Amino acid sequence: MGSGGRTAAGRTAAGMRVVVIGGGGTGAAIAHDLTLRGLRCTLVERGELTSGTTGRHHGQLHSGARYAVGDEQIARECMNEVRILQVIAPGSIEMNHGLVLALTDEDAAYADRFQDACSAAGIPNRRIPVAEALTHEPAINPGARFAVIVPDGTLDAFRLPLRFFATARANGATIRSFTEVVGIEAAAGAVKAVRVWDHRRGVEETIPADVVINAAGPWSGQVAATAGVDLPITPAPGTMVAVRGRLCNMVISHLHPPGDGDIIVPQRRLSIIGSTQWETDDPDRIRTPERDIDWLIRRAADFVPSFTAQEFHAAWTAARPLAGRSHAGGRSLSRDLEVVGHKREGLANFYSVIGGKATVLRAMGEAVSNLVCGDLHLDLACTTATTPLLPHREYFRRAS
Amino acid sequence: MMDDGTVADDTRATALTMVTLRIRRSPSEQIEFTVEAGRYTTIMDALEQVRGEQDRNLLYRHSCHHGSCGTCGMIANGERLLACTTRLRDLESPVLLEPLSPYPVIGDLAVDAAPLFRDFPADAGILRESETVPGAVPPPEVDAARGASVRDEVAGFTRFENCIECGLCESVCPVIGAPDRPFKGPAALAAYGRELEKHPERADELLAEVDTPDGVWACDRALQCSMVCPMEVYPARHIAVLQRAARERSGP
Repeated sequence: MGSGGRTAAGRTAAGMRVVVIGGGGTGAAIAHDLTLRGLRCTLVERGELTSGTTGRHHGQLHSGARYAVGDEQIARECMNEVRILQVIAPGSIEMNHGLVLALTDEDAAYADRFQDACSAAGIPNRRIPVAEALTHEPAINPGARFAVIVPDGTLDAFRLPLRFFATARANGATIRSFTEVVGIEAAAGAVKAVRVWDHRRGVEETIPADVVINAAGPWSGQVAATAGVDLPITPAPGTMVAVRGRLCNMVISHLHPPGDGDIIVPQRRLSIIGSTQWETDDPDRIRTPERDIDWLIRRAADFVPSFTAQEFHAAWTAARPLAGRSHAGGRSLSRDLEVVGHKREGLANFYSVIGGKATVLRAMGEAVSNLVCGDLHLDLACTTATTPLLPHREYFRRAS
Repeated sequence: MMDDGTVADDTRATALTMVTLRIRRSPSEQIEFTVEAGRYTTIMDALEQVRGEQDRNLLYRHSCHHGSCGTCGMIANGERLLACTTRLRDLESPVLLEPLSPYPVIGDLAVDAAPLFRDFPADAGILRESETVPGAVPPPEVDAARGASVRDEVAGFTRFENCIECGLCESVCPVIGAPDRPFKGPAALAAYGRELEKHPERADELLAEVDTPDGVWACDRALQCSMVCPMEVYPARHIAVLQRAARERSGP
């Protein structure tokens, strides 16, 4: 790793013990990134990997088109990560693109602004008449005014993050599922160790740490609290519904500012509509509201009329981790990533990651790792954008 | 719950019924919980309710909650199924839940699925051509994007393979369950079957790996795997095809 791996104080990257809390996509990408840079990572997750928010994602790989009008930077980052994932995770993406449908006069009037914003963010986009869109996706609403093709895709919300875990583990990271944080020990202005309950063995254990990164998504407020830190976070649950039958191959969405029930994502032989959104205090006590299920199924007909007649398959709810506190509508909060260093609270080596999106998980890992390495005066470059990930099954094969 | 015993407005769409779950914690211990179930409530929803409101140490595997990740296979009232797509209203109460045999138990209903993946063909991809929308013509952008992410032989629209690697087929297989009967198992052999369909040019190499006593010839044709599969992979059909191909390859 060269001289860059040594700090001014003479500590090497390999001597740096990092504990990452949270086995979702964010934690996976951080553990992968820091392990590649040569740091010694242990990741702990209280349940199965991706059992929080990550796994329950509907699977849309975002070109960034959805965010282009509101936030050019996020849109550009999505597009960049779509291209990178095609290189480092070949075979894990259905790159079938997306159809953004204009349904009303209002949508049609919004289209120029939408396409200009996509172009400004580097997102290829092409407007086609509805007759042409119907040749690509015969099930879409034939009453649509027109459609815009954008480079959206579909990912497997379990197996894509698993490739990050598999690669991190193969490179030396310790990945511990069913290992729950019960305390964070601090002394003299720094976090010293993480206390965990190992559910497999039924024992409590102390893991010494030079750096602790809280990537617990909507649970990160609870994790920060164990270290006495108040973290501004809003868990925002949203419901999704899957019906049997893969009615489309492309992601079908609404040419409109982001709202409820405006995306249909194909997955294997299912079609999924997402999502609604509200806010809560406790991400462990969320129930899926029946009225959201019924509303989503009806709403899907605006985009794909036959959706509503398909056999019901599943309805579920995932809590997004939104940065900040809000008591208004959740969608006004930023969907962008926020990395908080807790130096101000007197814990210089404790970090929390809030927000983020499945599509940009690698970039989240890079952003967090850059900040941590910078604070450690470790001059180590990120290499995750060009490092192919192992297949997802390697995670299990290497464990056995 | 509200003070008057009713449930908060957003779940009141239908009357809730009380369902009893009996969870096998060990061969000698069962623990009982009562949960509220509505029209859509699944076994997974019930387990989440228990962990969130009654016993935060309850262990089970889960990720997608819609039958896509394959982590939540378990045994309910003797049937192997996915907890996240099985509604409580379709089961008799009390519901007895057991971890998915024969996998090692981590705790409660959580198992270590690693043995399932041991005999999968190396490098077997999870993408295939999508056939579900007859007559659909991909836009030129889809073909232009091919290359890095899509292997050359997959043309047009793609989708992920049906198999979600849930292990129900192995769990129900009498050969896997028998002592001293080494067997690659229905899930791995179905993956070989799919690889052979997608890569006929690799037939020699693929068949050599399954034309073995612990490969396709260990199958007793119980067909339980095809019946239990929640994704209609039909592993037994793949095994039969592989057996025939292996016979033809080795000659009369």
